[in-house]
Amino acid sequence: MSAQPATATGSLLAVRDLTIDLPGKDGPVRIVDGVDLAVDSGQVLGIAGESGSGKTMTALALLGLLPTGATTRGEAAFQGKDLLRLSTKQWRQTRGDEIGVIFQDPMTALHPMLTIERQLTEHMRRHLDLSRHDARDRAIELLRQVQLPDPVGSLRSYPHQFSGGMRQRIAIAVALACDPQLLIADEPTTALDVTVQAGVLRLLKELCERIGLAVIVVTHDLGVMSTVADHLSVFYAGRIVESGPTNELLRAPRHPYTRGLLDSLPHPERPNEPLVPIEGAPATPANRPSGCALHPRCAWAEPSCSQQVPALLPVGNGRLNACPVDPFAEGER
Amino acid sequence: MSVLELRDLSVTYRRKHLPDITAVAGVNLTVERGEIVGLVGESGCGKSTLGRAASGLLPPSGGAVLFEGKPVTPLGRAPRPKRERRIQMVFQDPNSSLNGRRKVGDQIADGLELATGMPSHARRARVGELLEQVGLEPRVASRFPHEFSGGQRQRICIARALSADPSVIIADEPISALDASAQAQIANLLRELAKELDVGLVFISHDLAIVRHIADRVAVMYLGKVAEIGDTEAVWDEPLHPYSDALIGAVLHADGTGEMPEALPGDVPDPADPPTGCRFQTRCPMVMDRCREEEPILAVTHRGDERAVACWLHHE
Repeated sequence: MSAQPATATGSLLAVRDLTIDLPGKDGPVRIVDGVDLAVDSGQVLGIAGESGSGKTMTALALLGLLPTGATTRGEAAFQGKDLLRLSTKQWRQTRGDEIGVIFQDPMTALHPMLTIERQLTEHMRRHLDLSRHDARDRAIELLRQVQLPDPVGSLRSYPHQFSGGMRQRIAIAVALACDPQLLIADEPTTALDVTVQAGVLRLLKELCERIGLAVIVVTHDLGVMSTVADHLSVFYAGRIVESGPTNELLRAPRHPYTRGLLDSLPHPERPNEPLVPIEGAPATPANRPSGCALHPRCAWAEPSCSQQVPALLPVGNGRLNACPVDPFAEGER
Repeated sequence: MSVLELRDLSVTYRRKHLPDITAVAGVNLTVERGEIVGLVGESGCGKSTLGRAASGLLPPSGGAVLFEGKPVTPLGRAPRPKRERRIQMVFQDPNSSLNGRRKVGDQIADGLELATGMPSHARRARVGELLEQVGLEPRVASRFPHEFSGGQRQRICIARALSADPSVIIADEPISALDASAQAQIANLLRELAKELDVGLVFISHDLAIVRHIADRVAVMYLGKVAEIGDTEAVWDEPLHPYSDALIGAVLHADGTGEMPEALPGDVPDPADPPTGCRFQTRCPMVMDRCREEEPILAVTHRGDERAVACWLHHE
């Protein structure tokens, strides 16, 4: 079951039943458990969750960057390939070429000792087989696309000469250099100031619409999701608990976890009330409660919640919910 | 008397072969007991430097830090004067501010011994009380930091700060490294403790939405100076400084409307070479000729709400 059951088969990327195990002290630990996702060209899919929810491991699996010893099950269909079954050699042609990536901290993603030109053109010349001159032209075009002031002059500069927001724009240009169809952005604005965050998010959204890029944004920040994501999947303890169109999901969350996350954020109209946190600490994969992993922290839990893992079921309007109690079936927040 | 008072404080970092950076360039700020003062601004605005100078971790290059009316001794080789141990700090990352190889109870007990000279037989019970105060069970005292989640570790850091019976706590981004649900828990805890124990709290954060929720007053910093300071609710409802306005306008709301806030164009200028006139003039949408020449001083407006703003739009 994907975020969009109707179009899942024709999606650019269709992930089915993705399961990831990592080796642990006492045998394998299930980090991600039966996740379905789909994203189309020109669309932004948001993956939200706290640390330990499996959101980053899901992204790494789609990039062939899982740690050594990890085993996967399921399927990730992308351009006639299964991303979970690619060899190292095949990944070398896919990653960077068809799937681009940006990480949280642009300072560590860029090489501090190489010029922007070198970092932008190196893999372009290799993957696209361009001459030095053509690669340079394309680099300037890319920097223009990410709205860097003075693209020509920037080529000879080094990463430290730019501010955080500009560095993230350069990292996006590097990710786009080989014309990928899919961009995976892991916490793309978490390391940035609020004032520049909006600019980077707007850029991602524009690229998505203008060049038909599909984007997967992974972040814990629901404010970011609200502004960029068309569809949202909320992860808890390695499973999707709720998914659907972002605007509906945030306006009227159905799952107690999504609801709890939203309630723990400052409310724009109720500044004087204390925040309402979800009690307790997030479940960790090594210590996942039985049944619905949220049940020890959930105010609406019933005895059956600790026994059976709830299925993610359609609840109308393209939405899916994995809560059989469903206490918020009616009404908005 | 304010528990903490910064008087025209400036802090300069000296660099070899490079111009000095004045990270804090003349700040006046008071914190009362039981009051929560939020300090917000972009990275590089000097808010962390200010916090470190206020707690004596950095020496001021000008002005003074007064704790309960007397100057704070900058940290040196000598032990801190006992009375200044009642200034405590909570840092951003609880993983690096706790010793991973010592039991958390022992780390909290250190504070009791150093600051209050409590005999060892009494410390154990007090450690248990402190743990309860921050929402943990006393029996966890014998555990090690890695056995806790990020939010719980930050609770331990807060308990350790409380062990010194502080009258002011400086918390530098205390929730930014935590999970969403833990952020709300720690923010609530800090507010409750400040009110209940009558401790002054300086809450340094880039997250304006949280600051609005927990701070009584808020100071907006830009490039080493305070641009605006006032009652949190008043500043939020009607920011007077264009920079406060831009910061508040950039906050994202998880309301599903998909509204994209305006980005503030440009970057924070190099603090080693601040612009002439108003420090914000290079990015200000309302800039006037006067702003490029004369630097506005932070002064109370005539609005009667004790709000001070450093902007020519609001002063003659």
